[in-house]
Amino acid sequence: MSIELTQPGCELLSAQPVVIKNVKNYFHIHTYGGLSPFFAGLREGKLLGTRCGNASCEEQRIFLPPRTHCPDCLSPSVWVEAPTVGEIYTHTEILYPGAGFKLTTPCPLISVSLEGVCTKMMSYLKEGQPRIGMKIKAVFNMEHPTHTILDLAWVPA
Amino acid sequence: MIKLGPGNLRIPKFEKPVYIVAAGQTDFRKKYPEKTTEELCIEAFSMAALENDLKVSLSELKRMVNFCVYSQFADHFGDQLLAASKIHDALGFDPLGNIEVKTGGATGGHSVLAGALAVASGYANCVPVVGFERMDEVPTRQGNAYIASAACKNFESELGWMYTAYYALMAQRYQYEHKVPRETLAKIAVKNHGYAVSSPFSQNPMRITVEDVLENTLVSDPLSFLECCVMSTGAAVLILADEETAYTITDQPIRLTAICSGTHTLRTADRRPMEVLRLPHEPEDLYKNYQHDWPGFSSFLAARMAAYLAYHMAGIKNPVEDLDILETHDAFTISDIQTYEDIGLRPYGRGREFIDSGECYHGGKLPTNLSGGLIGSMHAVGATGIFQINEIFWQLQQKWAKFHADPRMWERYGKTKPADFENLQVKNARRGAAISHAGTGSHVTMAILEKV
Ligand SMILES: [Zn+2]
Repeated sequence: MSIELTQPGCELLSAQPVVIKNVKNYFHIHTYGGLSPFFAGLREGKLLGTRCGNASCEEQRIFLPPRTHCPDCLSPSVWVEAPTVGEIYTHTEILYPGAGFKLTTPCPLISVSLEGVCTKMMSYLKEGQPRIGMKIKAVFNMEHPTHTILDLAWVPA
Repeated sequence: MIKLGPGNLRIPKFEKPVYIVAAGQTDFRKKYPEKTTEELCIEAFSMAALENDLKVSLSELKRMVNFCVYSQFADHFGDQLLAASKIHDALGFDPLGNIEVKTGGATGGHSVLAGALAVASGYANCVPVVGFERMDEVPTRQGNAYIASAACKNFESELGWMYTAYYALMAQRYQYEHKVPRETLAKIAVKNHGYAVSSPFSQNPMRITVEDVLENTLVSDPLSFLECCVMSTGAAVLILADEETAYTITDQPIRLTAICSGTHTLRTADRRPMEVLRLPHEPEDLYKNYQHDWPGFSSFLAARMAAYLAYHMAGIKNPVEDLDILETHDAFTISDIQTYEDIGLRPYGRGREFIDSGECYHGGKLPTNLSGGLIGSMHAVGATGIFQINEIFWQLQQKWAKFHADPRMWERYGKTKPADFENLQVKNARRGAAISHAGTGSHVTMAILEKV
């Protein structure tokens, strides 16, 4: 009996120095853990943020992206619906994305300012030309969800 | 609102003074298939040991070492976990203890911080800090995706897989608040590509004009390709020692009077407004009428925190007056302007004046990124913070020319010394600083070096 290769070897790209092509093809199994309500909410057209569950905490505004715990007092958060109408805080256009980008380009990238929310979440503008201060509203990709942050986008309000 | 307490703002101190005794590095290339990562680190360490006019041999130096620090940003790139172990072995340092530091783009700065803590506490008295990155195994698009996996994978990475886009968001907001002309941003790219022309180590030397930058293809509006850092493969090493050991090794140690660290949320999105943390030279009412959220998207709290601690620790009263040379982490032109303000070269909103005044150039008050920086010279991430300190170290030793002007240095890397080479040694430089920076400002260190 002799031991044989069960898979093709590496492609030789250069003889001197010896350079080979090492192909990778694998996946990760990723959990959203305690942040799951946010991603489940997107499938139902809901924008869920979190608020500190400790009534005596100085920070009572909504966090979006959500947090399982308040970063100031570490109390568990409570889930709340965030406003779905807001304005563009800043923007850019993605022209040459990195590998794995799933949207068409050029893609307007935006940071969203929402009343009562102390953070400015990153997202994208699905329609229209962005400008700072522009009124926008949330739209949800519920038909064929990607189960990623790409299921949330914004359009002019 | 982030509220800082007195304990949070306690000024760090070293129990024992810390010195840099030697520095070495490779040249930096987009692709470096001729050498393994171990070979690159051996080359950088050998330069440190053999070319810094030390009073001990390489073998004697190695026998003085009692702890090592390794600096690599991303295992993804090198596709080798525990790469530090192979390098430690290749350098012949087994069975000495070592640690590997990881703080994104600021890994180099934090590795020097880790080494300094070991020396300052008396835990060790001779510590090589070895930085490296092999970014040439994957195509640039995949490289950008790897770098963007250092953004929040739940809420940000999918939105571009591209850090340039995350910086461009900051750039647009900065432009909206402070209206820095595109020409001023372009000048930074022109300067740093230009200084890279006089460095045999540099990957992206270029003589270009402001117009070239303005007409250049955009990666993410408003940042063009010429305004973004390179992706490199290479290594950089420096050696830290306590006072007695330092003078055994060299007659010209340079003192590391401070190296301090600051952080902020990985997601720019999460940065809640707070009161401006004032630097020693900023008057109490300076920001009384400041119109914008701070730090918002226009400023880096991490850089401000690092500068606040480092200036107090090193006794810097006014950075432009007290420093003679500076290396910033110019990952993008916009982040460079932001950093000028964070480290107090100008008040918030007026960073452009540092460029427009000419202070940032060789011959100016505070020459900045004479190495060519990340835009012109290199960004082999784990090596970057060390490379920056190395360049300041040689400047303060008045040895810049030895490592940059000798035609044999150029030949070593298969290059010819250019006809338009400039001597960038800063005469009588006594004090210098280097900024190491990660994420969109998730980690920053500021190091202050002083001639003894
Ligand atoms: Zn709380």
